[in-house]
Amino acid sequence: MKTTETWGEWRWNAVEGKYESGDSASLQGSGEISAIDAFAKSTMLLLGGTGFVGKVLLAMILDRFPELKRLVIQVRRKKKLSGEERFYSEILSSPVLRDIVERAGGEREIRRKVQIVEGDVNAPLCGLSPEQIEQLRGKVDLVVNLAGVVDFDPPVNESFETNVYGAQHLIEIVKLLDAKLVHVSTCFVAGKKNGRISEDAPIVGYFPKRNEGAATFCVADELKWYDDVMEQTRQSSSDTRQLKERLREAGMNRAEHWGWMNTYTYTKSMGEQLVAETPGLDYAIIRPAIVESSLRFPFPGWNEGFTTSAPLVLMGGEGLKGWPVRKDGPLEIIPVDLVAEGILIACAAVLCGKHKNVYHLASADQNPIMLPRLVGFLGMNSRYKHKHKTTGNRLANAWKAYVETQVITVDTLQARRARVHRGLDVIHAALTLGKTLLGEGKVAPYLKSLRDTRRQIRTQEVTIDKFLPFMHHNSFIFETRNIRETARMLTNEDLKRVKWDPESIDWADYWVNIHTKGIERWIRPMFASPKKARA
Amino acid sequence: MNKAAFYDLSGTLLSGNLVMTHGYYARNDRSLLKSAYQLAKVVLSVPLLFALDLRSRARFNDFSFRAYRGMHRDRLIGLADDLFEVTLKPSIYPQSQALIQTTSELGYRNILVTGALDFTIRPIVLHFGFDEVICNRLEFKNHVATGRVLPPLLAEDEKARRIREYATRESIDLTQSCAFSDSSADLPMLSTVGHPVATNPTRRLRRIALEKNWPILELREPSSQFPPFLSHAKAV
Repeated sequence: MKTTETWGEWRWNAVEGKYESGDSASLQGSGEISAIDAFAKSTMLLLGGTGFVGKVLLAMILDRFPELKRLVIQVRRKKKLSGEERFYSEILSSPVLRDIVERAGGEREIRRKVQIVEGDVNAPLCGLSPEQIEQLRGKVDLVVNLAGVVDFDPPVNESFETNVYGAQHLIEIVKLLDAKLVHVSTCFVAGKKNGRISEDAPIVGYFPKRNEGAATFCVADELKWYDDVMEQTRQSSSDTRQLKERLREAGMNRAEHWGWMNTYTYTKSMGEQLVAETPGLDYAIIRPAIVESSLRFPFPGWNEGFTTSAPLVLMGGEGLKGWPVRKDGPLEIIPVDLVAEGILIACAAVLCGKHKNVYHLASADQNPIMLPRLVGFLGMNSRYKHKHKTTGNRLANAWKAYVETQVITVDTLQARRARVHRGLDVIHAALTLGKTLLGEGKVAPYLKSLRDTRRQIRTQEVTIDKFLPFMHHNSFIFETRNIRETARMLTNEDLKRVKWDPESIDWADYWVNIHTKGIERWIRPMFASPKKARA
Repeated sequence: MNKAAFYDLSGTLLSGNLVMTHGYYARNDRSLLKSAYQLAKVVLSVPLLFALDLRSRARFNDFSFRAYRGMHRDRLIGLADDLFEVTLKPSIYPQSQALIQTTSELGYRNILVTGALDFTIRPIVLHFGFDEVICNRLEFKNHVATGRVLPPLLAEDEKARRIREYATRESIDLTQSCAFSDSSADLPMLSTVGHPVATNPTRRLRRIALEKNWPILELREPSSQFPPFLSHAKAV
């Protein structure tokens, strides 16, 4: 019987024009690649399998391809918890994997199939010991790397360590193990660009501004720059806070200099370039767009962390009205389970030697969701939430419920921000005056709530600014020809297990009934009390 | 062979109807001014709808769906949960949930057969836990409703036809199945099953039910008895 727990089982099929439960009709494949056969003969080493995409991929491998010969998973130690302990206590009990493990025959069955190695991509040889390498040599056929620092603007060393040096360590062990490589990157390595982005652009030496001047880009030079900047900043900074802030700025400025929108995409691109310039390496680079809640697997609406559009959806739910987005642009998003399926399809292709070097995993090429529609959805969610809200100011709730969201320009945004800050300044001045006249006791609580309001507003502003490159400054459509062509080469039996079908997503149903509800359920609790969630 | 319980929705399980649904969407248009204009249109159409309802349920549905013309599909889907909370949930009859639970426990597959629109009944389906839905769908062009329903319009004889079709496909024994409806417009639907139940019947349906010796059920009253074919098994 269906309960509210399984709300996602009702799916609107936009093609057929009807609700349906379960899977739609299967596709026909040419059978040039057999994923089932390829996996049955292969051992896979998974790096970064503990993240948002990683766990879904892991669950999908266990659930859809039980034939896989062996799976080696690298798990980082966490304080006192060893990698292995962490995998069995923390990772397998996650909502993504709990039911899957049950279905796959319980923990005992997993232990038979899976080998855990402790390690860290930030360390040479990814933290694997020479004995471990020796034990795995010649046995691992494919290394799948999902490790990465996904923060947009962390101190530059954090990004470099994982996304650049991590890639070097990755390549080292892939060569030592004599394996093939599937490396997960991001679509946005394209940088500040507009329009259709091809999968065929050369990888080595790429930088977004390369058509604007004669400069050349090379990773070795960037590593030199990095050493210099680290040295200088360390010497000139007085405390760790200042150091972090300066390193953060240094990364963003360097990214900006070459035409990337942030440190994340800049360092990710270098990781790709290191992979691509390695001679004799069989590799595929997977570039997902903005990864969002799952569409179907392991259940609709699974979401984790803040690197998706979750902060925006949560702010919309809180009643933010003005959204600076392009009226004619899509938001390049892709559900996490489609990303996992795309990765598995690419893995099969690499194992069979029939792969392309780059796979974009994105939706706008086939089925774009335009930004103004999303702004509309955010408004409707706010209407629903604030109409039934019993706490808080009633007038404010009514405003948030009945005033619609609107698409605004960046100029309007700046003007509104200035007005809000002026208003707050006036209130602040009045309260300070009140403090001298009436004494501290009466005014202090108001001053405190003013400070809180300011902090909230500033957080909101920072979040919006981080997303501006994706929803206002640039408008991307990432071409996805490679994954579509490769998916068509699978066998019909494979296509019952994995498919690439973003064209069948009904965005209205997805956004309203799957994504928004998923975020409210899985992310909102963390957002409300990040400290508690971390503990 | 499987057996199924076919449910009509409005008037049977809850008092909300098509006009209330449309009134909700009219009230919640993008701005207050637009909402007022849309609401005025709905209010003016009410007498006409009453007149049409007396003549033909199909014509009534046809006309009432025309009011959706020009509405964006995003909005219809985006506000469906609120529609349910505000309009439909409060109008659910006290015994509805218990009845659906009973048929489910007795091994009937619960199926909603309604003239209402797919997006409006989604929260209802989840609330009651229906296994399957047979309903109307609007036609959209470029995400905007044309005001027409995708044919064939689900009402009267069409409901019975779809039930028989479903039964054949899912190998369901209709003589062992039951159906619940409040209106004589659903006579064809009630007549296709072995156990028809006149539920909160209109005066006309009550007369027919008495003639045909069908059980009559009142979901509006908390103390009403379920028909023997359900209560017998319930006692066990």
